[in-house]
Amino acid sequence: MNKALRNPLVFFLFILPALILFTMFFIYPIFSSIYYSFTSWNGVSDTVKSAGISNFEKALGDERFWISVKNNGFFILFSCFVQVPLIILFSLLISNVKKLKGLYKTAVFMPSIMSTAVIGILWGFIYEPNIGLLNKVLGLIGIDPLYWLSDERFAMLSILITNAWQWTGFYIVMVLAAILSIPGELDEAAAIDGATGFQRATRITLPLIVPIISVVIMLSIAGAMKAADIVIVMTKGGPAGSTDVMATYMIKYAITNFKYGYGNAIAVLIFVFTLVVTAVYQLLIARRTERIEY
Amino acid sequence: MPRALKKSLPHVALLSYLLVILFPFLFVLFSSVKKDNNAIALNPFGIPKEFVFNNYVEAWVNAKISTYFFNSLYISILASVVSIILASMFAFAVTRMRQGKWNTILFTLVMVGMLIPNNALMLPIYTIVRKMGILNTHWALIIPYIANAIPFTIIILAAFMRSLPREIEEAAVMDGLKAPGIFAKIIVPLTVPAMVTVFIVNFLGNWNEFLLANYFLSNDELRTLPVGMVQFRDQYQMNYAQMSAGIVFSVLPVIVIYAILQEKIIEGVTAGGVKG
Repeated sequence: MNKALRNPLVFFLFILPALILFTMFFIYPIFSSIYYSFTSWNGVSDTVKSAGISNFEKALGDERFWISVKNNGFFILFSCFVQVPLIILFSLLISNVKKLKGLYKTAVFMPSIMSTAVIGILWGFIYEPNIGLLNKVLGLIGIDPLYWLSDERFAMLSILITNAWQWTGFYIVMVLAAILSIPGELDEAAAIDGATGFQRATRITLPLIVPIISVVIMLSIAGAMKAADIVIVMTKGGPAGSTDVMATYMIKYAITNFKYGYGNAIAVLIFVFTLVVTAVYQLLIARRTERIEY
Repeated sequence: MPRALKKSLPHVALLSYLLVILFPFLFVLFSSVKKDNNAIALNPFGIPKEFVFNNYVEAWVNAKISTYFFNSLYISILASVVSIILASMFAFAVTRMRQGKWNTILFTLVMVGMLIPNNALMLPIYTIVRKMGILNTHWALIIPYIANAIPFTIIILAAFMRSLPREIEEAAVMDGLKAPGIFAKIIVPLTVPAMVTVFIVNFLGNWNEFLLANYFLSNDELRTLPVGMVQFRDQYQMNYAQMSAGIVFSVLPVIVIYAILQEKIIEGVTAGGVKG
């Protein structure tokens, strides 16, 4: 047919710039990470010494690494068992109200477009023991000031709440879009058959939004695995490493302590864990939910 | 249950959620016009009795908001625009040019890129940036930001370009246009709506980015707004009134843009999904 769109040279020139950047910043870093994870390189010197699997042995034997893994786990559990129910509840509520729908949607979404760093600062102020909002509110019901961010018992929880505060609205809007795209006839038919609002929500809408909930959980897992900035801004991993996540643990070693090889071993472990969690989720849960036919 | 109560119950729940979202902002706004920590401690919830706007002046100077703001602004815009140019060329090639299986292979490769947890790639990227000799310059952020946005941008733009009818190019070819001409004169103008959406998402991503900006720059004059704000907080830890004014400065532009473009922003950000 036409030759204009079949010219291989032009094709090549069109894809080249993006492909170069993609190779440099996605493909090469993966292989580079894997390679250096088997070395004891400090990131600066000219000689790179092989270290076998000792970096991995060291990481898997380090209690503080496992604390950071556990904290990533808390991120995931908190999103699945606290955020997801709230997301479902509030998206159903917003979809059912007639007035103020736009306002709710706009306001709820707002925190997710803001910088995590600034939100970390803002919440640091809220958690401030003496003048912060939270202790002042708790003071009204007679609870003594708590040291939210510097007490090991509360620090991680405080971060999780901040993270949920920022992202719950984002997912609510996503689920809301799915609910609003369900044909209205389904709901009307059920209403004519005498189903109450609650029945319609749980028997009709909920089963229909299971796929999007599944997407929300996948995104939360992906987000949980790369969480880092909020921890750095709010606690720097403290007190005593109790709020470190894998990414901040990696940064601590590689950039602050010049253990570049070791840092890359952590990066590889982050890949592996992300793959494992995603695969487990897909096999155990996502598959099973797909069997619910509607 | 009485009808009125039943009707208002969802609103009660939603308004309390709204309060949880909005009150922290109000708290910061009120604190920013209070005299000092003491004034905040005495009257944490309400509007201050006397307004002190000096905090804004001090924060603007001490936090160097203007410097950080313009650094963030031009880095974010430049990186977003360049990613869109490069990604639209790529998307045009794989969706509109007939190169058989190469189209599929290249597109799949980019899709895989979306799945990589990019924070984990920070160390090798740090080394690349250092080897390029651009560490501690703005290029150390601009180039990785461009690259980072490319997979997402390609996927959204390619989906849009694929939906354009084939006949358009056939007519253009008849008129004697070559591939670059078709791209620049036909496809790009038609893709503008999708480009606006990805621009917003990329811009917000770059504007808010913290990790690279925190570790790849050490010169104070070069810092971006999120990093500058954290540093400002660390320096003036004790002065919460002034810090609140700093927060207002850094949040206000985003809120204004959001108020104007909220529909586009919500559409774009949720389409991306993975950006957060």
